[in-house]
Order: sequence, then structure tokens, then C-alpha cells
Amino acid sequence: MEYAVREGSALPEFVRDVVQADIQRYAEASGDFNPIHIDETFAATTPLKGTIAHGMLVLAYLSEMLVRAFGEAWDSTGQLSLRFRNPARPGDRLTVSGRVESAKRDGGIVCVTCAVSCANQAGEVVVSGEARVALPASL
Amino acid sequence: MPADYDSLTPGQAFPRVEYTLDAATVELYVESVGATLTGHVPPLAVAARAIASLGGLISLPPGTIHASQDFEFNRLVPVGATVTCQATVLRKLSRGPMRMLTLETIIEDEAGQPVQKGRSTIVLPGA
Repeated sequence: MEYAVREGSALPEFVRDVVQADIQRYAEASGDFNPIHIDETFAATTPLKGTIAHGMLVLAYLSEMLVRAFGEAWDSTGQLSLRFRNPARPGDRLTVSGRVESAKRDGGIVCVTCAVSCANQAGEVVVSGEARVALPASL
Repeated sequence: MPADYDSLTPGQAFPRVEYTLDAATVELYVESVGATLTGHVPPLAVAARAIASLGGLISLPPGTIHASQDFEFNRLVPVGATVTCQATVLRKLSRGPMRMLTLETIIEDEAGQPVQKGRSTIVLPGA
């Protein structure tokens, strides 16, 4: 873990371009073949007017930012609470960001709470919410 | 036969579903999301397969999308491990043509230890 945890500090951003090929690969890896994600003809008939990335794919980008910030502790103690605000579409460039809201020592661990979000190139929020992780106090 | 929205009731628990997180699936997942390679399965890969496993239990119409998601991760899962997922219907909400469903998923490893817990709220397209 290279990130120093301080209240108010920003987490290292993670930027990812949304491409249909990744959405297709994600469908195969996750087993989620909902046509709203992979069938452009079907998706064009819906209110969304085109394919969108899986919500869980966007969350995977967000989780990647957190694992880069907090290492294995994220994968074994992390908690997420998120709302989807706007769809992520092929062609979007997503920037995942976060900020440490609090870091409170509790015995041998530090409980870190972060505000996290993911926005597209127009600044529209795609996902936002809160992440919490327990870190060893020695870090 | 998978249950449809109208037949679901809050509190309804589904039978446990078992699935294996094999190396090929994990590699494809890591490639598609740009994840960092580690010695274990990314927790959102575990969750994604759990949600997909519900497809055999609950019939969701094409165009269903995610509204909100909570997770609590408890334990790392090694590549190749088999886990079980149990889903429970927490809430149904209909408002005009909009139908929402909140599901809880509890995932455990082969020893019965908790791996993660999730709460998904999804929006089904209008009829």
C-alpha cells in the first residue's frame, strides 16, 4: 500500500474508458448477459437508447481504486454503500475518485471512511456513496 | 423454474447455489475490469458470479438495471475455490409501472465461513 491515510486527503484516482468489448468480456466473466448491456438493437428500443455498462462493472472500477489505495485490507474488510445515479455508456471516460472522511483508531485497527464517486467526462456522477475499510494501526 | 417478480414475497429465501471461481473465469474478469492481479479472487468477481447465479432462481426481464448496492467483505477467496450463495428477498416496491426489488446475498466458503454479504436493489422495466 503506497497511500498515506489522512482525514481530508484524496485517494489516487482511477481512470477507465468504457468500451463495448470490455462490457462483452465482463458479461462472459460475470455470467450477466442482460441484453441492455450487450445487444445494441435491443438496447436502442429501451428508454436508455443504447447499451450501458453493467453496474457491477462500474463498481469493479471503484473497487480497483480502493484496492490500489488500501491493498489486501480492502478485499478482506471493505464495505461499500453506493447508489447508481447515471448510466455509463460505451465511449465514456470514467474517473473514480474518493476522499478520506474520517480515520478513527479502535484498538489495533484504524477504521477509515471515505466518500467515493465515479463520474463521466461531462462531470455527471455515475455512482456515489461511501466506502469503509479497517487497516492495521501500524500502517 | 425461476420465480417471477409477482410471485416473490419479502422474506422469501432461496436454496443455496454453489459455484466455483476457476482460474479462467477470474482471468477474464481481471482483464475486463483492469483489476490488479493478486493471489485471490477480486471480491466483486465473487459478487458478480453470485448475482449471475440468481438467474436460475429469479426470472428478471431484459432491461433490468441496478439502483443501489451495499457490500461487506469478510474474507479472501483463493482462485479455484467453491463458494455458496444464499439469496433472500428483502423488499418489493411497485410505483406505477416501476417495479423495484431488493435482494440480500450471503456468500460462504466451503467451511461455512462468511465471505461477503451484499444487498442489491434493482429496477425492473415497466410492463
